[in-house]
Amino acid sequence: MSSRRSRQSTAGVSSISDDQIIELVSKLRQLLPEIRDRRSDKVSASKVLQETCNYIRSLHREVDDLSERLSQLLATIDADSAEAAIIRSLIM
Amino acid sequence: MKRWRTKREHQIYSSKLFQALCRSRRTSSSTSAKELHQTADRVLSITAKGTTRWSRAILAAPLTAGTNMKKHKKAKVTVHTRLRKPVVNREKKKLPVVERKLKALRRLVPGCRKLSCNNLLEETSDYIAALEMQVRAMTAITEFLARGEAQAPTDRLGSIGNM
Repeated sequence: MSSRRSRQSTAGVSSISDDQIIELVSKLRQLLPEIRDRRSDKVSASKVLQETCNYIRSLHREVDDLSERLSQLLATIDADSAEAAIIRSLIM
Repeated sequence: MKRWRTKREHQIYSSKLFQALCRSRRTSSSTSAKELHQTADRVLSITAKGTTRWSRAILAAPLTAGTNMKKHKKAKVTVHTRLRKPVVNREKKKLPVVERKLKALRRLVPGCRKLSCNNLLEETSDYIAALEMQVRAMTAITEFLARGEAQAPTDRLGSIGNM
């Protein structure tokens, strides 16, 4: 166990190897809209992680806003008559 | 992860979500935004078909009535500093920056608080893709309904499925 680096198991938060972090960061970079376009390799790990967290939070907020709007809209429309039309159009 | 970008998943999610919303409207007179968000998350997790940890965690979580769900916080007991054993290493008080951010990320993705780095990556990428689809689908439904207020529902084409 001491001769090979174990990549699967991590004993705790503090024992993540640098390699794992680098891999995580490089893959996360491709998910993020802003960093994807930038070609520099100088983006630091903490920045990528920060951007990821920010992005997830902003997505949460967007869904919150959409939920708000949807709940208001649903209160006003007559769902039963619209439902059939909407379901049909959604499936097609 | 790629499936979240397909039109098919989008349609499946949109129709399931809308059905769920109509169902909940029939049982209770009004749906709060919080409940709606919860429903949207649950339908999203169901659409994931239990393949990811975050989706299983969302489905396993109890439904909240409508107030902000805060995790159990242990009551903070203020201890006089002099009584504390002087073992605290002041330099190590804060985790290194990357560890802290990793911890924050773990808190954001449901069910991943103790996940290893590699699995966290998979969960995060899937979660982000799913959230993006959720936003697209809900936006489409919202626009559809908003337009529905202005015109009759019969003469509209199925534009939601194409978005």
